[in-house]
Amino acid sequence: MLRVEEIHKSFDDFKAVNGANLTVEKGGLVAVIGPNGSGKTTLFNLITGQLKPDQGKVVFKDEDISKLPPYKICSRGIARSFQIANIFPRLTVFRNVQVSVLSQQGKSRKLFYPAGKLAVEETNSILESVGLSDKAGNTAGSLAHGDQRALEIAIALGNEPELLILDEPTAGMSPEETTATMELIKRLADSRGLTILFCEHDMEVVFNVAQSIMVMHQGLTVIQDKPDEVKNSSRVQECYLGGAEPC
Amino acid sequence: MFRDIFNLKSVGPLVVIFIILLVLPPIIPRFYTYILAVIFVTALLAMSCNMVVGHGGLFQFHHGAFYGVGAYTVALMLTKTSLPLWTGFIAGPIIAALTGLLIGAFCVRLTRLYFGMLQISLGSLIWAIAFRWYSLTGGDDGIHGIPMPPIISSQNSAYYFTLIIMVICLIILYLIFKSPFGATLQAIRDNPERCEAIGINVKRHQLIAIVIATFFAGIAGVLFVVVESSVFPDLLFWVYSLEIFIMCLLGGWFTFAGPILGAAIMISLRTFVGIYTEYWTLILGVVLILLIFFLPEGVWGFIIEKFGRQTKEAVEGGSK
Amino acid sequence: MDTGQTFTVAALGSQFLVGLSRAMILFIVSSGMSFVLGVLRVPNVAHGSLYMIGAFAAFSISTLFGGGATGFWLALILAPLVVALVSLIAERSLFCYLYEREHLMLLLFTFALMLILGDLVKMVWGADYRSIMAPELLRGSVNIFDSPFPRYNLFLLIIGPLVGIGLWLFSNKTKVGKIARAAAVDREMVGAIGINVSWVFAFAFVLGCFLAGLGGALVSPTISVTIGMDHDIVIEAFLIVTIGGLGNMWGALVGSLIFGLTQSFGVLFWPQFAIVFPYIAVVIVLTWRPRGMLKSVW
Repeated sequence: MLRVEEIHKSFDDFKAVNGANLTVEKGGLVAVIGPNGSGKTTLFNLITGQLKPDQGKVVFKDEDISKLPPYKICSRGIARSFQIANIFPRLTVFRNVQVSVLSQQGKSRKLFYPAGKLAVEETNSILESVGLSDKAGNTAGSLAHGDQRALEIAIALGNEPELLILDEPTAGMSPEETTATMELIKRLADSRGLTILFCEHDMEVVFNVAQSIMVMHQGLTVIQDKPDEVKNSSRVQECYLGGAEPC
Repeated sequence: MFRDIFNLKSVGPLVVIFIILLVLPPIIPRFYTYILAVIFVTALLAMSCNMVVGHGGLFQFHHGAFYGVGAYTVALMLTKTSLPLWTGFIAGPIIAALTGLLIGAFCVRLTRLYFGMLQISLGSLIWAIAFRWYSLTGGDDGIHGIPMPPIISSQNSAYYFTLIIMVICLIILYLIFKSPFGATLQAIRDNPERCEAIGINVKRHQLIAIVIATFFAGIAGVLFVVVESSVFPDLLFWVYSLEIFIMCLLGGWFTFAGPILGAAIMISLRTFVGIYTEYWTLILGVVLILLIFFLPEGVWGFIIEKFGRQTKEAVEGGSK
Repeated sequence: MDTGQTFTVAALGSQFLVGLSRAMILFIVSSGMSFVLGVLRVPNVAHGSLYMIGAFAAFSISTLFGGGATGFWLALILAPLVVALVSLIAERSLFCYLYEREHLMLLLFTFALMLILGDLVKMVWGADYRSIMAPELLRGSVNIFDSPFPRYNLFLLIIGPLVGIGLWLFSNKTKVGKIARAAAVDREMVGAIGINVSWVFAFAFVLGCFLAGLGGALVSPTISVTIGMDHDIVIEAFLIVTIGGLGNMWGALVGSLIFGLTQSFGVLFWPQFAIVFPYIAVVIVLTWRPRGMLKSVW
């Protein structure tokens, strides 16, 4: 469904992504792993249009989307969450998700109809699925960190995406929260039939969740394969599992 | 749909205020009627500005330019053409909105401070034209003694006209505030990058908001001419625009009704402090500093914060 | 729009010099604003008021010393210092408490400062027009391109580059200047290496205001000093730093040249609408390069 071909991006002299390749099949649950600074977030920003690649293509459902602005990429069916909680802090939790649902339904520019009456059911069901129903009326900025991360995912779900991209959904979480989040991701993939692409710097977390793992190192794709193959790959051992020191 | 937005409990007090304003003119001195009318005009102007500033998060630094364009349009049409009088009243807001579209289209390509700077530059261009084109606009003297249609030429009828138009405009602005468009606009204020990522064409949305806001600024400009029967280039000057900006902040820019309060405070200050001292801007400056240090959310924002959780929900939109 | 003047090379040349000397004043004022913008990230709306205070202070000082050459030179040195003192008081008493706050609040504070300073000037100096005589040496004019060119403008053409060089030396060769420049680019880093960021900000603010005062003192012999002169200069300085690239010193120079030259040639071609030309130039520049001519430090 999504294919990233030999993509490059540099900032001034720093080559953030230097030849990354990635394939995501429909219905798949794909993880991108790599140490901090290996270019995972940049890769995601390239896919969803926040950044434009210097070279290479991003193909989604047989269309090159690498030149489209983010809002158009979203309308093609890709939604994403961000590494730092990227929410609407002054709006209520409900409104945060509702804005996203309204956008999906093409009702963002409706001028004379009370917003309170639109997309209520969809929004509530999303809030329920991420476990934020009881906090719907709170101001988003006042939520605890873990809840903001959940809201982050909920906003992305509002777009009813075919492909959901999550940028380090467990960043800054305790081990228990991490497990819970991973279960949430798994559940979403099953119940909503979503294709999910996410990244993570901690390798252990993803092995029992992901169906396919892509390893990034210094902006480069080392390998993409099934978890077991990745674990046994000598190249991955060498540069990632091989020890505390980066190679 | 109206019932969903205006429930009786919150509308009740507003209706009472409206009725009081309706019966006031015969009772109070003529001067106060005039001041009230000025407050109505300025309140509408501040509300239109706040739609893009407080709800849209844009640095609309030169909103006065559109106000002035509306006022000049109607003034010029009434004095220089023989078209039916009411066409000027319609042309004012439309020309203002078109100016808003043109200037907005340039500005939305930029963000924050650059947006504001470009707008000041473009607005100053309009100001310079009005200031210098003596043969058309009367230059720095402006245009005075603009003939009004008989039906609104007396002071009381001008008062009622501004009051009713303002109320209608405020209702429309409130509907927009509560609509999906308004909700999305507020989301853009909070986080434009995220809005792009959930499929919203941020620039287009902002541009539409600017056009709507400048349309209402144009209406305020027309009302200004109705009340004052004159126009002058100071309306278009950037200092006045910053004053409008301050009205929004003073009243409470994240609230809906705040700017009305801001405009009322500002006009009252100018009028009543101006009686005692010529240094009223000094007083304004001090008030502004106090505001920055003690009431960063504005007066109305402070009242809501302090006294009413329920009101807050009514203002920001209940969740369920 | 015939002005009765033929566009000879001589006329163009002398108008070019007029524009250039105007650009020097604009550069001195706007480089100060650019400095504040670069380090504090806030457009100082009160910049024009400080410029005005500089001009009025120059008037008072030169009158105090009998209005002669000594008075003028002393005014040129002391007036900017008076302005720096005023800005230091405002900064330390109020402004410095706002650095942690929302950015718009800083902007609003400078607007409040503009309102207050404007009225204070009215209280102290009144609403009359004042004028200052340049010393004998700088009065009269010399012939350049067969047309008279005021000596004072020549003086400005010398002072402008000197200030520019001084600023460059200061920000590249002195420790304080380097710290201020580093703070402009990365304020967390400067805070992290144990420098008191608040004082760096204070310093930048005062230096910027000093330049505004210097501009005001320098311009005072060429215009009639009066209240209201703050409004025009601050908007011009704003636009100059915007088209130059926010916080970029050389950008302020480029912007000043654009502004000064379009203005002076505008006078030549269409006097009535001369003030329109710089604004049009700004629109063209920002349409073409939305972030200004040179790299912004932001």
